Amino acid sequence: MQEKDQHRTDARNAGNRLVAGHVSEDPFAAAFKATRMPMIVTDPNQSDNTIIFCNEAFRKMTGYSDDEIIGRNCRFLQGPDTDRETVSKIREAIVAGQDVAIDILNYRKDGSTFWNAVFISPVRDEAGKIIYFFASQLDFTNVKSREADLAAARHKAEAEVAKHTANLRSALDARTLLVHEVDHRVKNNLLTMASIVKMQARVTRDDGRRKTLMSVLNRIEALSTVQRKLFTLDDVSKFDVSEFTRELVTDLVDTTGRKDIRLSLDLSPLLVPAVKATPLSLIVNELVGDAVRRGLSDGGGDIHVVVRRLNGHFLIRIEDTSEPVEPDIENAELGRMLLEASALQLGAEIERKREGQKAIVEVVLLVGDHQENAN
Amino acid sequence: MKVMIVEDEMLLAMELESEVEMAGHQVTGLAMSSSQAREQISTSKPDFAFVDIHLMDGPTGIEVGRELAAAGIPYVFVSGNIKKIPGDFAGAIGAIEKPYTMNGMKNALAYVSAIVKGDDSGSPPASLVLAENATARSRFG
Repeated sequence: MQEKDQHRTDARNAGNRLVAGHVSEDPFAAAFKATRMPMIVTDPNQSDNTIIFCNEAFRKMTGYSDDEIIGRNCRFLQGPDTDRETVSKIREAIVAGQDVAIDILNYRKDGSTFWNAVFISPVRDEAGKIIYFFASQLDFTNVKSREADLAAARHKAEAEVAKHTANLRSALDARTLLVHEVDHRVKNNLLTMASIVKMQARVTRDDGRRKTLMSVLNRIEALSTVQRKLFTLDDVSKFDVSEFTRELVTDLVDTTGRKDIRLSLDLSPLLVPAVKATPLSLIVNELVGDAVRRGLSDGGGDIHVVVRRLNGHFLIRIEDTSEPVEPDIENAELGRMLLEASALQLGAEIERKREGQKAIVEVVLLVGDHQENAN
Repeated sequence: MKVMIVEDEMLLAMELESEVEMAGHQVTGLAMSSSQAREQISTSKPDFAFVDIHLMDGPTGIEVGRELAAAGIPYVFVSGNIKKIPGDFAGAIGAIEKPYTMNGMKNALAYVSAIVKGDDSGSPPASLVLAENATARSRFG
């Protein structure tokens, strides 16, 4: 304790000597005392490089009185959370007699912390010997806390974005799963419906009834083919009428096993909105089915199917060279009703004509530009 | 040929059985799960199989397919979601997508029964999505 008092007295004396070297009107000394920037002077020739002088701003910043400051080493401002590496850097600079500018966490008398931007510089005499260290301080806790606030805000925002992204992704996954599940059920139900009709057709003994059931089955299966062709394109909102037509016609003609029905196709991709898929497919099914049935009864013939765009419209054209025959009246009536309803729904025009041997049916669908899919 | 049907929807399986028999083939059995399929593969030695991907014990049809391929039995997948089939088709000749039509199934059956017999002169029907190198798969070894 006595030794400590001695240090303080020595430091006080050193400070007095420093002040005595300046007359009271010395503007530099006055500026030092009055500036709002906290400043101290330490004396490396005292034991432990103690503080021999501090200004009012320094006392205000740290909360200590002059008596509590003079005679102590600067390290009394350090505390448990002060970075040890920063302290080492300061010590190294002082030992080397070099300037150092560094940010350090310091503690006030009341235990509160502040961020201190310290600049320490040696003061040399004419011989170059270090006689003092001059240190200025700047409390930049506010700047530091704004930085921290900004970083925290950014972190929070990023966390929010990540959370929302995860929510969206999981909602999308759930939606995709649901679409697959519904699609799977619709497909299974269509096949089950078709199977029930086929079973009934198998057990029935009446030819007329069997024909009726097969006529119903034919239309259910047209819808099955539509369902199968939906969601196959990258753009799931579109349906390719050509792809549907190709499969429907080739399956129909292949099954007849008849070499005397000659099929030729002129199909270009024709994408329509998925909502139009069902009525359009029913139309194609009726017209192609009709041509194949007549080809069957007639003893063969040529069937030519065209699906393409024409002057911005959609054109489906079916030509066949088979003779007109007496149709199955009930089936023909159902076919007529389906054609009429589908055409009405689509705003399509159906035109039938004969050119010599050829029976021609043309379906023209007017489409607005917004519905059209450029190839 | 002797045909095994692996399908968990019994109504669809029975209807397919009728279709296969109408075409002049014999059905060795209907399997609803992978374990039933395994049992039938070893006991009834089918010449050919239809395999659904989703069975009573989950999406195990692909494993069943690989075991058929390992046993040298040609088969096709019958599924509502042929996108689930692996790139190598698990050794299958191809796939028929549900909901197939009566004509589509008849044409596919006629085509595969011809190639199982070694006649690959026919052209595949629209209803059958072929795996690459499909005809070679029908004559294992």
